[in-house]
Amino acid sequence: MIERKNNTAGMPEAGSGTQADDAYSYFPGCSLTSSAGEYDVSFRLVARELGIRLEEIEDWNCCGASPAPHHWGGNLGVLLPARNLHHAMRDSLVAPCVGCYNRLKNSQYEIANSEEIRIQAERVFGEPVRYETEVLNLVEFFARVTSPEKLAERVQGRLAGLNLATYYGCLMTRPAKIMNFDNARNPVSMKPLLKATGADADHFPFKSECCGSYMGLARKEIVLRASRRIIEVADDMGFDAIVTACPLCHQNLDLRQGQINSAFGTSLAMPVLYFSQVLGLALGLEADDLGIDAHMVSARRLLEKIGHGADITQKQAEVS
Amino acid sequence: MAIRVSSTIADGASVIREIERRSGERVSACYQCGRCTSTCTGAFAFDYPPHRIMRLLQLGQVEEVLNSRTAQLCFDCMTCSSRCPMTIDVAYVIETAKMIADERGIEGEEEGVRLFRLAFLKNVRRHGRLHEARLMAWINLRSGKIFNDISLVPKTLRKKKVHIVPPRIKNRREIHRIFREVNAKLRDE
Repeated sequence: MIERKNNTAGMPEAGSGTQADDAYSYFPGCSLTSSAGEYDVSFRLVARELGIRLEEIEDWNCCGASPAPHHWGGNLGVLLPARNLHHAMRDSLVAPCVGCYNRLKNSQYEIANSEEIRIQAERVFGEPVRYETEVLNLVEFFARVTSPEKLAERVQGRLAGLNLATYYGCLMTRPAKIMNFDNARNPVSMKPLLKATGADADHFPFKSECCGSYMGLARKEIVLRASRRIIEVADDMGFDAIVTACPLCHQNLDLRQGQINSAFGTSLAMPVLYFSQVLGLALGLEADDLGIDAHMVSARRLLEKIGHGADITQKQAEVS
Repeated sequence: MAIRVSSTIADGASVIREIERRSGERVSACYQCGRCTSTCTGAFAFDYPPHRIMRLLQLGQVEEVLNSRTAQLCFDCMTCSSRCPMTIDVAYVIETAKMIADERGIEGEEEGVRLFRLAFLKNVRRHGRLHEARLMAWINLRSGKIFNDISLVPKTLRKKKVHIVPPRIKNRREIHRIFREVNAKLRDE
C-alpha cells in the first residue's frame, strides 16, 4: 500500500521544488479544457470564493484514461499519469475529473509497489520519479478546505427546497483497495456538504451504478441503456437534479439524454450538475458564471426554485 | 447458454496461471453465485457474462475467453468486483485477459471499441493531450459511420464544448519517451 502522507508533512523525496504552503496543485485533465469546460470554470470560481489557491501543473499531459491501462500491460497507463505526479510541485494535488483522479491514484499505487516501474519512470524522466503528492478528488478537496458547519453558516440555506441525487459512479471509489476513499458500494461523501447548502440529498439507490463509461462512440446502446436507468430512477423519485463529479458521467447523462429520449420514447428532462456548480450556487454565484447554461438539459426549473429566475439567460436549449 | 469446450485443459492451464499471477486474483475461488453478472452494466451486450468467464477460466478454456466480446468490451466499471462475496476482482481478471489478448494480437470482433482505444492513444501520443473533436471525427471516418452522433455537433459547438485547434503540450518528447519505454506499438501502423 501507499504510505499515506500527511498534508502538512514534508516531502523528503520530492526535492527542492516543493513549497510548504497552502496552495494545491491542480490537474484539470483534457475533458475540463474542452467538453467539460464548465466544470473547470465552476471549480476555479468556487475555490477562489473559498480563498484557496490553485496552481495548475505545468505542461500537464493526458492521464491515458481507460485506453492506456487497457492496452499495454498497464505500464502505459501508469507512466502517463506518473509524469503529472512528477511535475506536481505541491504537497497535495486536486483532480476534479474522476477518471483522471482514478488514473493518478492507480499510477501512484503501482509505482509505490513496483521497483520495475520506478526504474522505467526514472529512465523516462532522467531522475528518480516524484510520486508522493497527495491526490484528492473534488469532493475530498472541498471537504478538506471547508466544513459543513462553515459552509452552512456562510450560505444560510440558500438551496433549501431542492432534493439532489448524489451520483458517484464507478471510478471515485473503485477499486476500493487503491482508491481508499469512501465506500465502493454505498458512498456518502457528497452528502454532508450538500446538506450544508440547505438542500436535501435523499438516498439515491443508483448512486454507484455505471453510466456506460466510454462506450458512447463504439457501442452507444450500452450507454443509453445504463444511463437511462439512472436518470429514470432519479426522475421517479422526484429529485430536482443529479449531482456528479465526473465529466464522462455528465456527458452520458446530460449530453446523451436527448438520444435516450429518442431511443426509448421517454421524455426525461433531468438536469445534471457538477458538484462544484452546486456549491457555487449555494455560495450565491451566478448560474451563467458557473456554466450551468452550457448543459444540454435546462436547469431552469431548479434555478427558479432557489430564486435564480431573474438571471437565467435564454441560451439554454431544451432537450430535443 | 452452453459452454463450448474447445481448448484442451493443458493449453489453458498455463495462460490461466499467467492471468492469476498478473492479476493477483484467485480464479479458482469463484463458486458461481452469479452476483457479478446480476450487477454487470454491460452483460446484455457481452457473449459471456462475467460469471461464465470465470467458469471458462476454471475449465481451462482460455481461447474462448481471449476471443470473447466480453474481454474486448468490458469497460471496467468494477461493479462486479465490488460485489463479489469471495472478494475476487472479477473486472481485473477480465482486464488481464484483455491485455494478454492484446499482446497476442487477438483483435476480436469488437472493431469499434478497438478503434476507439487506438485512436485515443494515437491522439495522446501526438499532442500529449486528447483532442476530442479529432478523435470523434477519426473514429467516424475509420468505422464508416460518418454520421454517428452528428446530431450532437451543432449543440456542442453552440455550447463551446469543442476545440477546433488541437491542444498541445510543450514537452512532447517526454510523452514519446513514455510510449517508447513501454514499446507501445499502435497497431495498423
